Amino acid sequence: MTTTSLVEPGVGAAVAAPALAARTRGLRKTYGSTVAVDQVDLDVPDGAVLGMLGPNGSGKTTTIRMLLGLVQPTAGEVELLGHPMPGGAQITLPHVGALVEGPGFHPFLSGRENLRRIASAEPLMATSAIASSVDEALSRVGLSDAADRRYRGYSLGMKQRLGLASVLLLPRRLVVLDEPTNGLDPAGTREIRRVIAELHAAGTTVLVSSHLLAEIEATCTHVAVLHKGSVVAQGELAELLEAGAPALIVSTPDVELSLDSLRDNGIAARSTEDGLFVELIGTSAPKVVKVLVESGAEVHEVRRRRTGLEELFAQLTEGETQ
Amino acid sequence: MTAAVVARPALDRPVRAPLGRLLVSELRWILRRPRTIIAIVLLSLVPVLIGVGTVIAGNANAGPGGNGPGSLFTILIGNGFVLPVLSLTLLLAMLLPLLGAMSAADALAGESNHGTLRGLLIAPVSRARLLGVKAFGVGTVVFIATAAVALVGLVTGVILVGTDGLITLTGNTLSFGDALARIGLSVVWVTFQVWAVAAIALAVSAFTEHPLVVMAATLAGALVFAILTVIPQLDWMQPYLLTTGWTSLTDVLRDPMPWDGLIDSTLKAACYLLIGLSVAYARLSTKDG
Repeated sequence: MTTTSLVEPGVGAAVAAPALAARTRGLRKTYGSTVAVDQVDLDVPDGAVLGMLGPNGSGKTTTIRMLLGLVQPTAGEVELLGHPMPGGAQITLPHVGALVEGPGFHPFLSGRENLRRIASAEPLMATSAIASSVDEALSRVGLSDAADRRYRGYSLGMKQRLGLASVLLLPRRLVVLDEPTNGLDPAGTREIRRVIAELHAAGTTVLVSSHLLAEIEATCTHVAVLHKGSVVAQGELAELLEAGAPALIVSTPDVELSLDSLRDNGIAARSTEDGLFVELIGTSAPKVVKVLVESGAEVHEVRRRRTGLEELFAQLTEGETQ
Repeated sequence: MTAAVVARPALDRPVRAPLGRLLVSELRWILRRPRTIIAIVLLSLVPVLIGVGTVIAGNANAGPGGNGPGSLFTILIGNGFVLPVLSLTLLLAMLLPLLGAMSAADALAGESNHGTLRGLLIAPVSRARLLGVKAFGVGTVVFIATAAVALVGLVTGVILVGTDGLITLTGNTLSFGDALARIGLSVVWVTFQVWAVAAIALAVSAFTEHPLVVMAATLAGALVFAILTVIPQLDWMQPYLLTTGWTSLTDVLRDPMPWDGLIDSTLKAACYLLIGLSVAYARLSTKDG
């Protein structure tokens, strides 16, 4: 068991960190008297798939927009691919593909024409490669058949796919996807996951935001949890999953017997549907098992509770609201 | 620019998309927009309407020649070359500025509204370049519309009346070549005037994401200018109003041609253009994407 993996904001910076694709320090953005983002110290390790998790209005999109130099921070600094933003935009953004606040396209143009227009504006795109890159991106998201239909007639899922295609026009160093699975059916969601996995395999750093925990759990190597404009936890997904108060789940038919003997030994426990839930506070797993065995209760299974990200997310966000 | 897309290009210097490609892409976008095409087609029908209408109404209303659009109607009968200039004079009063405003509204507010402006900023296209591309696009649309009106006016006039040279307001006749040159001059001059209006509209467009606001503001501005022009107590303002110079377009139909009015209003338009683009840039450069 790691001591704690719930890296407090700021503490993570002290660790000799690997190269970072993006980094913010003391980032703050206010709109009038509304604080949208405050004291955000975000680290996006190079090559990671970082999931930015937070409820609606937690500052995910604002943070992303500041990362991309679209919005000037009120305070704090932003570094993207090693260059300060928004000053370095012309150097860094050609290497960054981003889908922010939903796909933006012109309804009267076909999907292909819309992509051509974006491709023309891409600095790293060779003019001769525009047509083939557009075709390839369309086929990667499964839109080849609908490419020449007007965007107006696209379903929500198709619109989202076209947005993804615009990110895939070029090989990137960093891809930023803001709520990419919004409006997608399960098949579409799986495809987004597949694309993220492909990008990851190709060495592209991916920053993906979501308010859906399962999404982050399925695709990310790292996670940063935002709540009310601040990063409340960040680190590797595996570590964060194991974080939280350790506990044991005991599967036994002799609930009464084992509960009594545990309580006699001063161990906190409560009954569940098919056994016990034992919090490891002031005790350890071997001691609990020993007490259970000595009590004579039949024990089928004892396992450590893995704190699901969902549970973590709930803990963090509920804790803040109280 | 490299010949092919390289897997991981160096990350050490600013890179920009070729300007020519951006301009072509902008025009492609503008000219594929159905409302742009419809507006240009409708505008070019105006000279046909005026030409046919005037000729059918016949010589009954023909009166003594004077000044301004009214007198142009009179000399139009029997003079086909006047039709393009007359059409441009009438359209310059309201409909061409409206086209410029519509185009400027789509250029920034419309793109902002569709979320496509963000896409361009992320590409990235720098904000100064973006404004340049937009101003170019709007100017080109205005030029295409103006040229289309002049061309259709010329063809209609020639079909209805013939090619007997241009009889000027001052009574003498210009050759076919001279007449064409003067029509060409009208097109360029009108384009520049409307471009100035569109630059102001672009400034409004940079402040909002609702194209309708741009249209309303430009229309309101045009109305206010018209009202200011007719109030005698405010005539000290007239040298500063863009619209007061617009009557000088009829000067191209005089011989010798008086340049004063045309040059004066060109300088005025240049000031409006400069102010419009400066305000637009000031807003665009600090705007949240």
